[in-house]
Amino acid sequence: MNRIKGNQYINLKGVPCPLNFVKTKLKLETMGTGEVLEVELDDGEPITNVTASVKEEGHQILKVEKADEYWKLLIKKQ
Amino acid sequence: MTKKIYKDNELAGLRTGGIIKQKQKDYFILRTRIPGGHLKADLLKKYSTIAKKYGRDYVHVSTRQGIEIPWIHIKNIPKLLKDLKKLNILKGACGPRSRNLIACPGMSVCRFGFVDTEQLAGKLDSVAFGKEVPKKFKVAITGCLNSCAKPQENDLGFQAQGEPEVDLSKCIGCTLCAKVCEKVCLRGKRKPAIIMDENKRPIYRKKNCFFEGDCIRVCPVNAWKTKMVGFAVYIGGKVGRFPKFGVKIADFVKESQIPKIIRNTIRCYNRIAKKGERFGEALERQDLEKIKEEIL
Ligand code: SF4
Ligand code: SF4
Ligand code: SF4
Repeated sequence: MNRIKGNQYINLKGVPCPLNFVKTKLKLETMGTGEVLEVELDDGEPITNVTASVKEEGHQILKVEKADEYWKLLIKKQ
Repeated sequence: MTKKIYKDNELAGLRTGGIIKQKQKDYFILRTRIPGGHLKADLLKKYSTIAKKYGRDYVHVSTRQGIEIPWIHIKNIPKLLKDLKKLNILKGACGPRSRNLIACPGMSVCRFGFVDTEQLAGKLDSVAFGKEVPKKFKVAITGCLNSCAKPQENDLGFQAQGEPEVDLSKCIGCTLCAKVCEKVCLRGKRKPAIIMDENKRPIYRKKNCFFEGDCIRVCPVNAWKTKMVGFAVYIGGKVGRFPKFGVKIADFVKESQIPKIIRNTIRCYNRIAKKGERFGEALERQDLEKIKEEIL
């Protein structure tokens, strides 16, 4: 399987909505266009809400992957 | 104290609507309307001018997207009416007439919205407002299933809906669409409208769909799109002393059909209801299938 590596990583497991999205957004703001952020999120609302919100902000989502009890999101900053 | 006798021209204003007797002697409430709740900031300032000049420096924001200005003295009504005309402030309705048409903010700002409800409300004001009816008649337009403008509690309600469609060539198999779909369908007591096949590709089953678009919003690669937008139509809802939920009579009605549906429903209400009766109450004696034909 082709493994896309993130330039940056944040662990947001246990961080509730909408704080998880805010932290993702702030992290993306420190990054350059085209760079990839890897985010780890809880199952349930966190993964669905953060995915929808990141997309609405105009970033590209490269990968959404379930790993055990949490999710990995790869976001390309636009 | 001598009793003041009001001249006919002072009382004439009361018959034009939008002026409601207050419980205090000689005082009235001015009821205005803001179709769809969309109010330009400049007009808002004019409301302030009126409240200061004729009222007591405050307004009441009604549940029907109107602004009411209490404490208008009867002797000032003729002058007030002239000012309203000059300032383009729209009067509201009272008595046996159709009321202000309300709307949620809709798609101009809301992430859930399928249509620009505020704009639509502005366009429909002349069709829906101020018509003679047996008691009162309320119309609401809401931009999605969330029903913020409460279409089910109005005599006639329009609820925008969007049919989703998936482009499997874009899908990356993340399963999030099935996840959000399962959640909405569980709350709505239906089997999921999206299930994943063995290759992690979504299968759509329209008969279970609520047309609220959660799948479209969540899909990370925009594989889900809105195929068609329309409106569910509810009739006979009311609150008041004896509340009643409206019943849904159609799905995916086109925006261009709405004016006709409003006119037909008002005509139907006038035909079937006794004086003082609401539409929903009169509907209890009717064959709903025939009513549907008459309205749609
Ligand atoms: S009804 Fe839907 S579109 Fe309208 S404000 Fe509520 S959530 Fe937004
Ligand atoms: S719009 Fe239909 S298919 Fe999409 S999530 Fe809602 S119920 Fe499921
Ligand atoms: S959300 Fe989009 S990418 Fe994910 S499974 Fe559904 S259609 Fe495929």
